[in-house]
Amino acid sequence: MGLLPNQLPWWIAGPLLGLLVVGLFAVSNQPLGASGAYVQTIKTVRRDSDSVSWRVFYFVGIFVGGAVATILGPGFELRRGYTALHAAGWSEPLIMVVVLFGAIIMGYGARVAGGCTSGHGICGTAQRSPASWAATATFMATAVIVTFLLTSFTALGDITPAVVK
Amino acid sequence: MNLVGLVFGAMFGFVLAAGQLHDYDTIHATLRLESFYVFGLMGLAIGISAPLLWFLEKRQLATPYGGVLSLARSKIERHHIYGGSLFGAGWSIAGTCPAPALAMLASGASYGAIAVIGLFIGLVVRDQQLERSNTLITEGDGERSTLPMTKTLGAR
Repeated sequence: MGLLPNQLPWWIAGPLLGLLVVGLFAVSNQPLGASGAYVQTIKTVRRDSDSVSWRVFYFVGIFVGGAVATILGPGFELRRGYTALHAAGWSEPLIMVVVLFGAIIMGYGARVAGGCTSGHGICGTAQRSPASWAATATFMATAVIVTFLLTSFTALGDITPAVVK
Repeated sequence: MNLVGLVFGAMFGFVLAAGQLHDYDTIHATLRLESFYVFGLMGLAIGISAPLLWFLEKRQLATPYGGVLSLARSKIERHHIYGGSLFGAGWSIAGTCPAPALAMLASGASYGAIAVIGLFIGLVVRDQQLERSNTLITEGDGERSTLPMTKTLGAR
């Protein structure tokens, strides 16, 4: 609908995210980690736990909020996503396999490390947790190195990422 | 508490989508060190929340749903580094992370579903490995599986 700009500036989105972290702590003494929400959701789906965790509602909320921001901003449009990979000339099955593979090691790694970008990267670091700072520094550095390898050795290097669309 | 979860999830998803953090290009522009966006956003989020949390912890804030505010500060262990490396590689390859993958799907990008399914697979595989070896799952400081059920509304 164009009520929101296509991309909020980082100096607005960042503080908003920070206030959300503080807000959830102030209300419930809980961090805003997303990988834990995945874990609780799969437990509920497989009926592994007797009670439905609030993190399942949190999981659904992320989806709802994402849809609302999209409708208010650039507008909802059914598409495949990953335009950069398509632009690099990768075939459809290859893109699917790459995304699936990346997501699997991401999920596995998040469970090994005990958190993800939101859990360790924002909530843990904000609590001044040494473990979270170490995990965050590690995944940031690894991601930059792997991205360097991807752009150096694949056709992705010829594609310039569009910063704001 | 379920309503609190839904509302905070919705606000979180809203900010992620409004910041286009579910977009491959936003993530990769930063990981290629061509844009400051994700670094600046995370830095400011931490910069705002860390001092506020420090202050609230010092004041021993009584939270309506979770007792007295307590922050977690675990020691660094090997699994944080191993897991972090795997996570970082996956973050770069899939170009998204757990919460933005959900926002991606919500924004209409159908391949977001592949990322969400992959994340579920990875998490479950690790959980089953731990179950088989009878190892306790350690939640990181940014996740907490159980909610302390001490309702301490009002003064402490």
